[in-house]
Amino acid sequence: MDISVRITPSLTLKNPVLSASGTFAYGEEFSRLFDLSLLGGVVTKGLSLLPKEGNPTPRICETSSGLINAIGLENIGADAFIAEKLPFLRQFDTSIVVNFFGTSEEEYVLMAEKLDIEGISALEMNVSCPNIKKGGIEFGKDPHVLRRLTANVRSATSKPLFVKLSPMVTQIGEMALAAQEGGADALTCANTFPAMAINEKTCRPILGNVTGGLSGPAIKPIALKIVWEVSKQACIPVIASGGITTWRDVVQFLLAGASAVEIGSASLRDPLCFTEIIRGFADYMREKGLKSVSELIGKLKTD
Amino acid sequence: MKEREAVVQDNREVATDTFLMTLACDFPPFTPGQFLMLRINSTCDPFLRRPLAILSLKGDSLEILYKVKGSGTSLLAGKRPGDVMSALGPLGNGFSTPGQDEEAIYIAGGTGLPPILALAEKVRRGRLIIGAFGKNDIPLWNRISSIRDVSVQATTEDGSFGKKGLATEALKDLLHEISRPSIIYACGPEGMLREITEQARMFGARCEVSLEEYMACGFGVCSACVVKTSEDSRKVCAQGPVFDAFSIKWRD
Repeated sequence: MDISVRITPSLTLKNPVLSASGTFAYGEEFSRLFDLSLLGGVVTKGLSLLPKEGNPTPRICETSSGLINAIGLENIGADAFIAEKLPFLRQFDTSIVVNFFGTSEEEYVLMAEKLDIEGISALEMNVSCPNIKKGGIEFGKDPHVLRRLTANVRSATSKPLFVKLSPMVTQIGEMALAAQEGGADALTCANTFPAMAINEKTCRPILGNVTGGLSGPAIKPIALKIVWEVSKQACIPVIASGGITTWRDVVQFLLAGASAVEIGSASLRDPLCFTEIIRGFADYMREKGLKSVSELIGKLKTD
Repeated sequence: MKEREAVVQDNREVATDTFLMTLACDFPPFTPGQFLMLRINSTCDPFLRRPLAILSLKGDSLEILYKVKGSGTSLLAGKRPGDVMSALGPLGNGFSTPGQDEEAIYIAGGTGLPPILALAEKVRRGRLIIGAFGKNDIPLWNRISSIRDVSVQATTEDGSFGKKGLATEALKDLLHEISRPSIIYACGPEGMLREITEQARMFGARCEVSLEEYMACGFGVCSACVVKTSEDSRKVCAQGPVFDAFSIKWRD
C-alpha cells in the first residue's frame, strides 16, 4: 500500500495530509509535540515582502463549531523566514510549502523570485488579499486579474505553484480555470469565509478588525462542495482545506476530488491530530484494500 | 508541553459561579502563572480548548479554579467525577521567584486569583490582597487565609467582607507601610493591572502581571493573543502570560 500522492512531476507528498497556512506558524511549536517528518507537508504561515504587524485584538472569536480569525496576516517577512525558519524546517523529511501574498502584482512576483530557493518544495499563493492599486478588490475575485497574476508569478519561479482560491466568488470554477490557465500547478480550495460576530451587550463587533474569516467544522460541507465543483472543472490537482478534523473527512474530500488536504483549525484544538488522522487514513486504505491514493481521488459515486 | 488525559475527581462550587476542580492527570511540573489548555468536550461545539491557570499540582492531582463565563466553562461546571478531558500544558511562562531581601506582594482581582494563589502557596511568604465584588465572590477563604507566613487581606466593592473598596487602594496603603524593596505579582482586570503598574512605578517596586487575551491555540502558533510591549508585539500564550509590568503598552 502506498499513501503518497503526486501533485506535480517534481512534487510527491509522502501522504495526503498537510498543515494549513496560518495555524502552524513556522513549525517550531508543533515540532516539540511530534515529528514533523510524519506530515505529507508543512504549509507555512503566509509571508510578505516585509514583516507585517497584524490587526488589533481581539483577533479571534469562537463560533458554533468553528472560529473567526482576523489575525491580519501577521508574519516575520520573507527574509527573516529564509534566514531563521527555513533552516529549521529543512531538517525534517517532509515537503515545505511556503504560503505568500502581496499587495500588488509586482510584490507577488518579487516574493516568488525571492522564494525560488533550495529547500522550498512548493509555493502557495494567497490571492484573498486586496489589490491596493485597483481599489482594494481581492486578486482572487476577478478572473482576468487572477489569470495574469498567476501567469506572472508562474514565470518568476521554478517551484510548483499552488493558488489558494477565495471561496466567496460567484463562480469558483471560473476562478479555478483562470488560475489553471495562468499556469498554476494545483488549487487550494479554499480560504476562510468572510464572517463577523457581534456582542449584543456592548453593541460592538467582537473582532478588533470588525470582520474576519470563518474556519473549522462549520464550513466543512461548503468546502466539500467547492472541492467537488472545482475538481470537476479543473484538470490540475486540488488541495482541500476547510474544517477537516478526522481521517473520515480526509477520505470524503479525496472522494470529492482532492488529491491532498490541509488541516488548520483542528490543529489549534488538537495539535497531535495529524498523527491520528494519518494513521486512521492508512487504516482505511488497508481495510478497503486500496493500493494507492489515486484509487480514491474523485471516486465519488453519483450514479 | 504535553497532552495528557485528565480525569475529573471533584468539581465543586466554592463561590458564586466559581468552581474548584480536581483532576487526576499525569501532568508535568509547572511554575505558578503557567496555564493549561483544557479540551472540555469531544464534539466540535464549543470547538476550542479553554485556557485555565493551574492552581496546584501534587503528584498526579491537578487543581484548577474557574468561573463560569460562557459555553466552555458552563460545560466544565457540569462535569462529574470520572469524566475524561484532555489537558495540554504546562504552557507559557510563570512568575519569577522573589529575591531573598524582597517583600513579596500578591494581588488578585476577581478571576485573577488562581495564578496568584498558586504563587503565594508556593513561595509561602509575603502579603496577599484579594479584591472581589462581594463576600460570595471570594472562594477558598479558609485555605487562602491559612497559607503559612503569608498575611492576607480582602477588599470587597460592596463592603460585605474585608475592607470596603478596591484592592488597588489596599495596595497603596501597603506600599506606604513597607520600607524594603518589593515585588508585586498581579492578576486581574486590565484597568486594575494598569493602576497597579502605576503604583509600582511610584513606589519603586518591581512588578509582574499575568495578562488575559482571547486565545485559540495556547502554544504560540495562531498569533491571536498579542499584546504590545515597549519593544514589539508579544504572544500572551507563549511569551507571557506573565510579563514585566513596565514593558506593557496598555490600551487606552
